Amino acid sequence: MKKITTILTLFIAANLFAQEVKFGKITKAALEEKMYPKDSVADAAYVYRYRRTHYEYTAREGFVVITEVHNRVKIYTKEGFKKATESIGYYKPDKGSSERVSDIKGYTFNLENGKIKKTKLAKSDIFEEKLSKYRSVKKITMPALKVGSIIEWKYKLISPYDRVIDDLEFQFDIPVKKLNYIIETPEWYTFNKRPKGYYLIASKESKRSGSISFSGNRVGTRTFGGSDVTSPQDSQINLAFNKSVYEANDIPGLKGGEPFVSSIRNYRGGMKYELSAITYPNSMPKLLALTWEDVAKRIFKAGSFGGELEKTSFFKDDLQTLLASAKTNNEKIIAILEFVKSKVKWNGYYGKYTDASLRKAYKEGAGNVAVINLLLTSMLREAGFDANPVLTSTRANGIPILPTSNGFNYVISSITTPNGVLLLDATNEYSTVNVLPFRVMNWSGRLIKKDGTSSEVPLIPKRHRLEDNFVSVKLSDDGSIEGMVRTKYTGYNALSYRSRNNPVKEEDVISKLEENYSVEIDNFKVTNDKNIVKPIARVFKFSSEDHVEEISGKLYVNPLLFFTMKTNPFKVEERKYPIDFGIPWKDKNTVTIEIPEGYTVESVPTVAAIGLPDGLGLFKFQVKQAGNKIKVISLLQFNQGVIIPKYYAQLKEFFKQVVEKQTEKIVLVKS
Amino acid sequence: MKFTKLYLTLFLGFISNVVLSQEIQLASFLIPQELKEDANAVIRDESTVIRITAINQMSVKVSRTITVLNKIGRGYVDAFVGYDNDTKIVGLSAEIYDALGKRLKKVKKKDFLDFSAVDGGTLYSDNRVKQLEYTPTTYPYTVKFDYEYETSSTGFIPRWRPMDWFYIGVQKSSYKIINSTGIKLRQKKVNLDKFSVEDLSQGHVINYIMKDQKPLEYERNTKSFVELTPMLYVALDDFALKGVKGKATNWSEFGKWMNNKLLEGRDVLDAATVENVKKMVAHTNDPVEKAKIVYKFMQDKTRYISVQVGIGGWEPIAANQVDKVGYGDCKGLTNYTKALLDAVGVTSYYTVVYAKNRKDIDKDFTSMQGNHVILNIPNEGEDVWLECTSQIMPFGFLGDFTDDRNVLVITPEGGVIKRTPAYLNEFNLQAMNASISLDVEGNVKADVVIKSKGIQYDNRFHLESLSNQELKKQYKTDIWSYNNNLTIHKMNLSNDKDSIVFTEKISMDVQNYATTQQGAYLFRANVFNKNSYVPKRYRNRKLPLQISRGFKDVNEFTIKLPAGYVLEALPSDYILENKFGSYKVVFKALEDGSILYKRALLIKAGDYPKEDYKPYRSFRKKIAKYDNLRLSLIKKS
Repeated sequence: MKKITTILTLFIAANLFAQEVKFGKITKAALEEKMYPKDSVADAAYVYRYRRTHYEYTAREGFVVITEVHNRVKIYTKEGFKKATESIGYYKPDKGSSERVSDIKGYTFNLENGKIKKTKLAKSDIFEEKLSKYRSVKKITMPALKVGSIIEWKYKLISPYDRVIDDLEFQFDIPVKKLNYIIETPEWYTFNKRPKGYYLIASKESKRSGSISFSGNRVGTRTFGGSDVTSPQDSQINLAFNKSVYEANDIPGLKGGEPFVSSIRNYRGGMKYELSAITYPNSMPKLLALTWEDVAKRIFKAGSFGGELEKTSFFKDDLQTLLASAKTNNEKIIAILEFVKSKVKWNGYYGKYTDASLRKAYKEGAGNVAVINLLLTSMLREAGFDANPVLTSTRANGIPILPTSNGFNYVISSITTPNGVLLLDATNEYSTVNVLPFRVMNWSGRLIKKDGTSSEVPLIPKRHRLEDNFVSVKLSDDGSIEGMVRTKYTGYNALSYRSRNNPVKEEDVISKLEENYSVEIDNFKVTNDKNIVKPIARVFKFSSEDHVEEISGKLYVNPLLFFTMKTNPFKVEERKYPIDFGIPWKDKNTVTIEIPEGYTVESVPTVAAIGLPDGLGLFKFQVKQAGNKIKVISLLQFNQGVIIPKYYAQLKEFFKQVVEKQTEKIVLVKS
Repeated sequence: MKFTKLYLTLFLGFISNVVLSQEIQLASFLIPQELKEDANAVIRDESTVIRITAINQMSVKVSRTITVLNKIGRGYVDAFVGYDNDTKIVGLSAEIYDALGKRLKKVKKKDFLDFSAVDGGTLYSDNRVKQLEYTPTTYPYTVKFDYEYETSSTGFIPRWRPMDWFYIGVQKSSYKIINSTGIKLRQKKVNLDKFSVEDLSQGHVINYIMKDQKPLEYERNTKSFVELTPMLYVALDDFALKGVKGKATNWSEFGKWMNNKLLEGRDVLDAATVENVKKMVAHTNDPVEKAKIVYKFMQDKTRYISVQVGIGGWEPIAANQVDKVGYGDCKGLTNYTKALLDAVGVTSYYTVVYAKNRKDIDKDFTSMQGNHVILNIPNEGEDVWLECTSQIMPFGFLGDFTDDRNVLVITPEGGVIKRTPAYLNEFNLQAMNASISLDVEGNVKADVVIKSKGIQYDNRFHLESLSNQELKKQYKTDIWSYNNNLTIHKMNLSNDKDSIVFTEKISMDVQNYATTQQGAYLFRANVFNKNSYVPKRYRNRKLPLQISRGFKDVNEFTIKLPAGYVLEALPSDYILENKFGSYKVVFKALEDGSILYKRALLIKAGDYPKEDYKPYRSFRKKIAKYDNLRLSLIKKS
């Protein structure tokens, strides 16, 4: 009896569940809801997100991946109206197989005079647009929208690309009440699953038996691994499917908009699927990826990666000319790096595989990331260096956790020397040895040797990026100041200075500084702005009437003048995702102030030294007086590029103290 | 060594070869120094030839050769051409040359990128674009871009804008229209006489040429590029637009055409909707009251979605369609509102306008103009204007999007030019009052009331749509970012849409506001309305000064001093007054020991010669400095 009850209960529960999310059916209570119970400030919420991805076998196309989507959204405010427009992107190249989007249906539900009114999504509310040579998008926008509306839509995405399962997104900028994703993959295919972000859902795994049938005239033309299928017409093969179910309720929304964030989408929960092995019946598994070593090997074996490294003939002569004038190894490396930069320009596309042969790119002068950095590697090798490509994941692509080949989307070059590994990237004009573009500086990369073996290399430099300012300034009794600033930018700061200022006219650089610092500038000079292997040195003379306050006959001056941090960059109470500076950094300011004749120092700020826990960062501040001169030294330093959110409160307090200390004044009185 | 020599010879040989060829003209070193000095790119030779052979037959042939001097210049290659089902591209090609004038690449029509001409705010458009995709390997380089298209629409004849944009030099740009139709072609010349433009027109051929024009450098606070540079607009008296013929001898006639061909018949509503709105206004006979109800109904029912289809993107979606789906673009929503007003017996007119950057519909030159549509209710001479794309705008308020400009009002009798209301200077008033108390530790407790009107209302009332969390953030990181350690305790917003006043009431504290170190007590008197704007310094200002928007701020802060403290000295009145506006700060000691801080800042909109830039900057600088004024307190002895 008990057993029967259980079964019955289960049955009812399942039935209820099914009823709750039936397409086109909603309750009055849901329409009456005024705000999202768990997050009263949400502009809209996903009441339901459903996705089922499964495989079907068709005679014409073989395996196709079918993804059915059903989304239901409750709109709470007018701001939430944005959620009523959805873009369904799909792959539709000019040549080759296309994905298809079909069976788009949608409804808007409103409460009118106490009754539910249903408005259907019309054909005219669906728009198709070609985005590029490869991608198209179907856009829908829901009709009859009001605050309080519930909208829902469903569609099918059919993809002939049976090795790719689109990323599962668990978290959005708005909350999700109920999420139900089902992914069914044929047992022949083994997928690696890689979670991302700060919200995880554990899957429930099960197996479902099934079969696929062959029919039509293409029998035998499609082979399964090593064993040709020579079955007769309309034959059936038994094939089980692995089923993963992801279910969750009340997933909080995650919005960006705070300072120091790389890409908020990286912090939202989700799951990435990547095919790691294929095992056809009666044959050995074909491994696609398992360890980083395997991943590296697999990428290396691709013709558009390792294969490209073998070809050298087309640049041999140029290389010889290039090396003729370079003596030391250092000179040679720089010569080759600069040559590649000027010879082949980055066309804006990422990629770990080349988008054209190196030879062709070399001739035409443009290529993607892989083209440029593999060419660099190949030329360095030819010149006798132990040069190897390093696979990386850009900051926007996220952190590579599990070994998957999609985890990498970028490649740089490296040289192994007795003193360590040098990293190079020729896609950025201002990048130099061990100073990589910001987008690359993300955890670690995978260095691949000629024999296909690989090892991990850290990408984030240990050395801090540095801005070092020396100021000497003379105060006048009328409150005006005159002085000189010498600044040194090293490492990534130099790269960033060059990217920002080199393309701009010097006059504009100066007036920007004048605005930011409230000074007027003369004798502005930058050295090494073109010589990228050296730090940038910038010198200018300044004058201003805006940096000294006169109150009741006393002069008040900020010890760091225009280098004072006046406001705390962290304002909100709470932060749910990391503070991402990218790279360890250090700001150092040394200011020498000469006080006007007839004045004496009444007070100067006291010495301060503050540290963050676990050696994350520190602040040192010191003011010394000698004769008519005051010397101020301020050092602000962060030893890690990324700081996890649990330190947020401490970090905010730390910056509060920095601001307070730096805004304490030096007070001068008439003697 | 031998190798090098050979290399050199080859190189020289190569140069002399090039010198002989025609392409040498494209070598970058041939550009006169003064054209490239402050340029990001130089137009070497641009020619536009337009042939109008019938009212519905026009061909446009453009050849544009531009040398790109740097990365920024890459954005001005402009190697793209738009098309749609009425415009056929019959020729398209591009050639890329290096600095020496050697051809690097030839690009055929099929190699151009083809995409939909949809910008960020548009959901769909049936216009398409073909664009050149090229990654330069070095600078400078030169692109020669040639295209030709044929169209049956003569409503939009390409204008001539030889200078393109700031920092673009022009070696040669020419424009020619051969009009063999006999239809009168009108021209509107803007600034042609202020630049060295040659008029070679003869008979039915219009022909202009500009040579060796130095680039114009961008400067802030000035007129718009189009007001500063030469431009030629042309229009036919009789034209066709996607198969629809029109007349444009004057605005009246043009308006009639728009009314008959683009609007008429598109304002039909379902009987049920008509009944519904009639019922809603049944209680009143006042047309303005009726219009208010209808406007609110429309705002609640619809949202803005831009879909550009139909006659040249000029035809509104039918009113009953908007009624059904609840969305539309400016044309659709305006036309829908008009239809609803018709249903309740209130006359209103569809009105074409240039939105955002202030620009007039030219009353002396009739042609297809404008980029936005609003609604005019004539209201017996007391015009009411409605912006129909916003769900939150108060009735009768246009904001800075469409205020103070000439617009084309379409009536069934014809088009009429009218001017929208101007929100000037003192009208854009913000009154901010605060009662502030300081404690011995230097902390501030304050209650602030802010009332914003006019354009200041426009800048502020969107705060209402923020969630509490976002609103707090806005106050802390944006509005009062200069006050560290700000904690908001209470916020109360009210939006009076009838009198168009937005009121904010905020209670907060600011920890460690005053400096209390070493026995001193210093604090900034202007706690909540610090204006730190200082116009950029120009060593050598070249363009006239324009203050595009005037406003007035008035403040009254009552500041209660901490127990046991008095003001060291009461500052005397500070007054600045000149043609740009005025600034006045007055301190008063109140009987209870508090201080009253009164401040009034007025900035007047206006156009001034370039010589006035410096005094204006100095005016703003003084204001910024005095807004930073700190007061010193001493302990009562």
